Amino acid sequence: MPGRVPAAIRRVRSLASARPHLPSRLRSRRSRVLVFLGLLGPGLIAANAGNDAGGIATYSEVGAKYGYTLLWAMVLITVSLALVQRSAARMGTVTGKGLAELIRERYGIRWSAFATLAVLVANFGICISDFVGIGAALGLAGIPVQISVPIAAAVIWLIIVRGSYRSAERIFVWMTIPFFAYPLAAILAHPDWGEVGHALVVPQLQGNSEFLLLFVAMAGTTITPYMQLYLQSAVVERGATEKDLRAESREAVGGALFADLIAAFIIIATGATLYVSGVHSIGSAADAAKALGPLAGQYAELLFGIGLLGASLLAAAILPIATSYVVAESLGFEKGIGRRTEEAPVFVGLITAMIVVSTIVAMVPGVPVISLLVGVQVVNGVLLPINLFFIWRLARNEELMGKHRNRGAVDWVTAATVAITSTLSLILVGVTVLGL
Amino acid sequence: MSTQAAKPGEILHLSLILGGALRDSDGARLGRVEDLIVRLGGSDYPPITGFLATIAGRQSYLPAERVARIEPGTVTLSKAKLDLRPFARRPQEVLLKHDLLDHQLINVEGARLVRANEIELARLEGWWRVVGVDTGPRGGLRRLLPKAIGRRISTGEFLDWASVEPFSGDVPAVRLRVPHPKLAKLHPAQIADLVEAASHEEGKEIIEAVGQDSELEADVFEELDARHQLEFVAGRSDSEVAELLARMAPDDAADMVAELPEVRREDVIEGLPPVARRKVRALLGYDPAEAGGLMSPDFVSVYRQATVAEALDRVQRSALADELLATVYVMDARHRFVGTLPLAALVRADPTADVVDLEVQYVPNLIPEADFEEVARLMADYNLTAAPVIDTEERMIGVVTVDDVLEVLLPKGWRRRFGLLGDE
Repeated sequence: MPGRVPAAIRRVRSLASARPHLPSRLRSRRSRVLVFLGLLGPGLIAANAGNDAGGIATYSEVGAKYGYTLLWAMVLITVSLALVQRSAARMGTVTGKGLAELIRERYGIRWSAFATLAVLVANFGICISDFVGIGAALGLAGIPVQISVPIAAAVIWLIIVRGSYRSAERIFVWMTIPFFAYPLAAILAHPDWGEVGHALVVPQLQGNSEFLLLFVAMAGTTITPYMQLYLQSAVVERGATEKDLRAESREAVGGALFADLIAAFIIIATGATLYVSGVHSIGSAADAAKALGPLAGQYAELLFGIGLLGASLLAAAILPIATSYVVAESLGFEKGIGRRTEEAPVFVGLITAMIVVSTIVAMVPGVPVISLLVGVQVVNGVLLPINLFFIWRLARNEELMGKHRNRGAVDWVTAATVAITSTLSLILVGVTVLGL
Repeated sequence: MSTQAAKPGEILHLSLILGGALRDSDGARLGRVEDLIVRLGGSDYPPITGFLATIAGRQSYLPAERVARIEPGTVTLSKAKLDLRPFARRPQEVLLKHDLLDHQLINVEGARLVRANEIELARLEGWWRVVGVDTGPRGGLRRLLPKAIGRRISTGEFLDWASVEPFSGDVPAVRLRVPHPKLAKLHPAQIADLVEAASHEEGKEIIEAVGQDSELEADVFEELDARHQLEFVAGRSDSEVAELLARMAPDDAADMVAELPEVRREDVIEGLPPVARRKVRALLGYDPAEAGGLMSPDFVSVYRQATVAEALDRVQRSALADELLATVYVMDARHRFVGTLPLAALVRADPTADVVDLEVQYVPNLIPEADFEEVARLMADYNLTAAPVIDTEERMIGVVTVDDVLEVLLPKGWRRRFGLLGDE
């Protein structure tokens, strides 16, 4: 016979036991909404996943080669990124459909198949490079690749396949914390902040092709197709509706700002050290960390290593998800984080396959990561204009978006962004393919 | 999944007609076929009622009466003279390419959403009609490959139109009320799963279709998760919400009221009929993780002096759901809980016998504050499908049924089949 137990004791007991947690019936919704739809969510995750191993390598290279010269471009790129991410988040919120799904419904099976194939190839390549990044970051601490990469892969797989969307999202948000290592590293590097400020506002150009190429590469690595694809699918999966529109757009813009601020700090950190000391060539993100040690001290190297680890882990988790969403959406398979293999065989199978293959490739010594990344860059360069074009067209479509469509100045600036970014990206493809 | 083996030559693929030539009766090319229009509702297989074609750079509408033949790659007119009109949707008309192809549809047979890779047409009862939807790889491949190769791909197994319920298109401005009669075949829980899996507009369309039958609508709302309940009541007035809640089981209604924004809660409760209002208010006072929050206030009870026939009569006249009638509760003259009687025992007994003469099982009961573990343990230990809840004066105030307990016990992720949101 159940006895009467004081409420306080029952609360403590329920905390200690594994009793299913149920929210109290009359607890205010407001607090929950604030927690879930606050500033931290898919927008932050998506944009920061773009600062992955390849991104860090590019930003380090920019800083090492040209110092702060290209910082002004980061401002322009940020505006573009924020606009594009915002459009993707709004489309997910208003329609409740992923980007791949909308492309299929509006532009037919051929475009959607082409985009899906490109996403599959490009994301697979980036995924491999991020697993290599995990190995390289932990390699700085002396942990062999054969141990670090499989463990990281297993953890990532468990988070995606065994957790729920909510728990995965929360873990991903926590995984952006290592990014704060870069501002710290930048401070340790003692930059001349006056010069930094000047470089941010005053555009400086150099006429050589190398400068131009690095500029294009920087734009390409900051705005990558998987970021929009992931963001829109994640907004749909977290169940945002029209009343969340403001929160979701704000979050997408905030995430883009934060991610690009981090990128700017990487450029500042390397610009203040490597560029000044004449180390102008950086092969990878781990090389940048190593080169930083003697110049800015052990802590700077450590911070760069931590940043690289966090960035690679986050991207290594996001890429398989984004890819699986796209494939499931455009081919009409069951999808969702935390779905079991029997429920969503294609979705879970693809995630597993990407993680397993990336792990194996990352463990094999002597993988030509650089040439892999070059190949990926080409595929991404072709995909990006298509992706951006669809985002622009869909986000201004009245049938689809109703009164929430992009119009006026927002639409114009988005169109300009799409045109400029696409041109740059196609230039990069041309240059890479022709081997100039 | 209902499939139909196609006899070669009878099935015409939509993808082979789209983009084909529009010719007059003499065979001269007039333009390009862009889309086909069908009318839903009425017959089992929707007939083609018209065509959209680009003629001399302008999009034009052709009513089906003007068309003599439809073949792969060609649509031939019955007359040489062309009579063009602008296209305006009539009620229940949808565009096959714009609204259905590549879009999600409900597979009623499997109660799941599928995507249309190809739409299959056939000549039935004298005219071309939609007979099914290919959701498999063949339909997709046919459209992916260049036409010359694609047309050689034979008909795959397809879903018969009888088990397909389409959405009327994602065009809110021109959305026409398309009836969805096949949805009625589904269980409310399946409909709720579909709503949770669908996009906003599609979910809204299902709810609107279900709304024709307010009892079914209430059943579907009982099964929906809190997020979707809120989404679909957001646009309704307080009195409409109250009307919906009044049809729902009191415990589900209380859960939904608790999810409503605080400013609406009081007004909605005030709009409920007195009995429902009292029940919902009482339930709202309990913690949902305790017996009081899990219980339903509806049950059948008899005085211990009653006869078996009287008890059975109470059951027969009760409007409650079957699962709440599996047990009859016995109380004394002062309304205190005495014990339980399974319905089977009542049916087997002599109708003239007194209830007390049957072996009234005394079942340990729960207080409203009993926590979830106690509820689950009691039901497992005593093999109960329903456990009585009593107040401080030993009066019975509700029952916790096994489905309420199972719902909480289900491991994370098991609760939903389609739901994309992994609820905590």
